[in-house]
Amino acid sequence: MIWEVFRQDEPGGYHTHCGNVHAPDQELALLFAEIQHARRKPTNSLWVVPQEEIASQTDEDDRFGGTTDKTYRWVSAYNVDVEFAQEIEDSDREQRSAAGDSA
Amino acid sequence: MELHECKTRAGPREFGPHDDLPREYREAATRMIQFHANSEIMGAYLERPFIRQSPSLDRKLAFSAKVQDEIGHGQLLYRAAESLGIKTREEMLDELANGEGKFLNCFHYPMTEWWETPMIAFFVDGAAMRRQATIKRTSWEPYAHAMDKICFEEGFHIKHGEHIMRELATGSRREQQLLQDAFEEWWPRILQFFGPTDDESTHHDFAAEVGLKTMSNDELRQAFLNAYLPKATEYGLEIPDEPRIREEDGRYVVEEDDLNWEEFWAVANNEYAGSHEQIGSRARAHDAVAWVRGTIAGESA
Amino acid sequence: MSALTGPDVLSAAERSAVEALVFPLADDEFVIAERYTEWQVRAPTLESDLALANVAQDEFGHARLWYDVVADLGYDEPELLFEREPDEFYHASLCALPFDAGDWADAVVRSYLYDTAEALRLGSLAGSAYAPIANRIERITTEEEYHREHATTWIERLCVDAEGRQTVQNAVDRLYPYALALFEPGTPEQTDAIESLNLRTESLPSLREQWIETTSTFFESIDVSVPVVEPLPEDPGRHDSHVEAWLSLYEEFTRTYRELDRAHTPTITSEHNDG
Repeated sequence: MIWEVFRQDEPGGYHTHCGNVHAPDQELALLFAEIQHARRKPTNSLWVVPQEEIASQTDEDDRFGGTTDKTYRWVSAYNVDVEFAQEIEDSDREQRSAAGDSA
Repeated sequence: MELHECKTRAGPREFGPHDDLPREYREAATRMIQFHANSEIMGAYLERPFIRQSPSLDRKLAFSAKVQDEIGHGQLLYRAAESLGIKTREEMLDELANGEGKFLNCFHYPMTEWWETPMIAFFVDGAAMRRQATIKRTSWEPYAHAMDKICFEEGFHIKHGEHIMRELATGSRREQQLLQDAFEEWWPRILQFFGPTDDESTHHDFAAEVGLKTMSNDELRQAFLNAYLPKATEYGLEIPDEPRIREEDGRYVVEEDDLNWEEFWAVANNEYAGSHEQIGSRARAHDAVAWVRGTIAGESA
Repeated sequence: MSALTGPDVLSAAERSAVEALVFPLADDEFVIAERYTEWQVRAPTLESDLALANVAQDEFGHARLWYDVVADLGYDEPELLFEREPDEFYHASLCALPFDAGDWADAVVRSYLYDTAEALRLGSLAGSAYAPIANRIERITTEEEYHREHATTWIERLCVDAEGRQTVQNAVDRLYPYALALFEPGTPEQTDAIESLNLRTESLPSLREQWIETTSTFFESIDVSVPVVEPLPEDPGRHDSHVEAWLSLYEEFTRTYRELDRAHTPTITSEHNDG
């Protein structure tokens, strides 16, 4: 049985997928994952999830975010200034950076 | 975990579902996040009619996307609240429909005209975003995670609100007057958004001690006014004479006695006329599709 | 592949054929999107609320793509939407029928009927002789696939018990006649022009046959019966009369525009605003 492993670097962070292990049950999956995926990287917490329980969808099959113009969802579409409030600037920057990542 | 340990450890994103937290913490966090989640839903109720009433296709799409985000934020927040183990999402949504759920003061008032929309979409959302940015450092990690995503999405909401406000402020004289009228009606409610400063409700001290809240109501209102009052002026809005606001050493001081706190508390307790109206529409919508939830729950059982 | 590359090469007769084809497409998408938005904040669960809101935004987006085709022939947004008379809209009434409170079965059955028709209709336009039509098909089709999967999945879920199946059956009984009217042609002259110019590569009766076949097979597979429809409803929309509820929807969506005495429609993107 294959278990997908999700690792959190430090308290407060997100658990992100980092690999998988073969194991017959949850307890052993955790024990194996600790060694295989957490021994060399700073780790605060681990999750293991049975691979067969994971459903997936790809961008190729179902274009995430759609295929028609949806610029109205983005800060950058609106030509009003953002500099008066730090939190809006932050949102603007995060959105631009996310758009850059996916491009 | 004992309460004193909880207070000692309290810090940004310190606690998660695996911590054995005292019941006082779980209840306080549930109350705070449930209020926040309810407010997302009830804000969406106020704005939904303007998807249809938008005066252009672009505005319509933006309003639809915004209402969608707010429901999405409700989803994130109810999950963050649910993970405290005090109440299920179903219980919280039932409480909202039956009038027990509390939510932001501004969402108890009817909004019927297009020129009112920037009052929510710019000022109220701006105030909310200012508060939300500080909650990224809350001690309940799932709440902070929800806030990462909410703050990411929310930026366009404020700009969309400002865009509408700019259009009205630079439009015909009548549009400018309608905007000013709306501002005068909503301004006192907006100032009450953060609650009374001297009261610092009983819940606050505890929430601050265990790291759920990171800024006081007064500090938040100050930060809001610093950014948004000049914006109002920039768009030619005249700040009403009352409530009186003085500038003192670069700070805005609001004369709180000029605000109607009797109404504020009626609103806070869901006892205002508008509260019944808004909660009633939520209750009808919630009940009308109860059969669907029953059908899909029956299937998974 | 497309002989007619853009608005500049069209004769007057070709222009009017393009308009006769595109207005109903655009109006269908616009009006059904308006109805879907009524489910925003009212869907059965928060997750389903988000999903249907997305469908609504997709359909508005498709409406805009189609309106842009006619905009390039010299119309602006006020003329296309806010100043057009309600009886000059050409949507089918399936799109304009009001929802009864809480009738989620109507929402998903309507979406299934509409999006199945839409898929066939888009297929018949992929090889359109008018390039601005043909080059929009892929983007729209991709989003419509999600809509159809979303609708069929929901219909199957609702049919798990007798009560749920009955709500689906009621929706099919009520909506099926109106859905058939999606395939009602315009005037014979318009149909001739659209087909002889190869703006659409299949006839509406042929699309309707395929639609009946597909939808009947699906509903039979889940023990829902398809009604025998004869004749069509008296208010099918398109060039005939619209349902009464269309008028109040029209009043609502034009309300702000009229009250502010507007003559233009704001766009949000920077390039437009600089103008």
